[in-house]
Amino acid sequence: MHNPVPHAERQHWIGVLARARRSELQAHEAALRDVEYQLIRAPEIGMTLVRGRMGGNGAPFNVGEMSVTRCVVRLADGRTGYSYLAGRDKVHAELAALADAHLQGPRQRHWLEQVITPLASAQADRRALKEADTAATKVEFFTLVRGEN
Amino acid sequence: MSAQLLQPAFADPVLDSQRGFRAAMKALAGPGLVQTLQATPSLEGLAPATYALCLALLDVDTPLWLAPSFDTPLIRANLAFHCGCPLTADRETARFALLGADELLDLSGFDHGNDRYPDQSCTLLVQLPNLNGGKRLSWRGPGIETGHQVALPVADGFWGERERRNEFPRGLDLFFTAGHDLIGLPRSSRIAQERV
Repeated sequence: MHNPVPHAERQHWIGVLARARRSELQAHEAALRDVEYQLIRAPEIGMTLVRGRMGGNGAPFNVGEMSVTRCVVRLADGRTGYSYLAGRDKVHAELAALADAHLQGPRQRHWLEQVITPLASAQADRRALKEADTAATKVEFFTLVRGEN
Repeated sequence: MSAQLLQPAFADPVLDSQRGFRAAMKALAGPGLVQTLQATPSLEGLAPATYALCLALLDVDTPLWLAPSFDTPLIRANLAFHCGCPLTADRETARFALLGADELLDLSGFDHGNDRYPDQSCTLLVQLPNLNGGKRLSWRGPGIETGHQVALPVADGFWGERERRNEFPRGLDLFFTAGHDLIGLPRSSRIAQERV
């Protein structure tokens, strides 16, 4: 069946929803829940193995395990929303899944403007602030010539 | 997309699958005794007990073989989503198999395990219309004090088919399900052929 939403767009908003803070999503809670829906997979907490590559291209190794919460909802009109997020916040997972379902519907533009764009810019601001803070602590190491030869 | 076909499964995934697992253990420990699973979800084409066993037993490590009568998009989508089990088309690689009464006369191909690892055999989940009304047979063996009278509505040829594939410790373990009920038939049970 044809998927009405391109993958890249949906990946973007699912990522934004997963990185959002719970309090930011709860501002939209009333609007998100204002619809008939059922939980296909009630919010549940599990573990996933994180793998990494040394330097980004070495042999894969296991970094460790992290907790993950996931949820799947279906609205009365058949749209399904999925969420996977780091941490153990079930309310956040349910709201993010609801938002994903809403975003696939006819009012996608409304939801993008109301929810995704503000969240994405807040996340960009936080990231820029953190990067600036981190950059200020950068130390340049250098070695004096010791005259060994 | 199969998302339209998905339905909720267990209301309480942890406790409900533990209940299903417990019922399966008791069914194999007391062959021929009916175990009842309350409050289990149903899926069109699967009895509640069958679905509960699937949800409790299947996961990503257990390839499942589906009989043609169960091979519907609805069942495939929901088992893949809730259990995450791979579905296999050849019987040799299956760890579990879902059968109806019609498939019982041909159990060829299913893994019986080997002498070193008899536990690697394929476990058969057999869905029947009910667990009564067939020929009354006497079941004996481990877990049965004297004998249990069980009247499963299965074709006579099934018992010979099972016997041929039963070379202890190798063999096939079966669960029979109907509605909310299930009965276990481990490979160690001996079925008296004479009418009781």
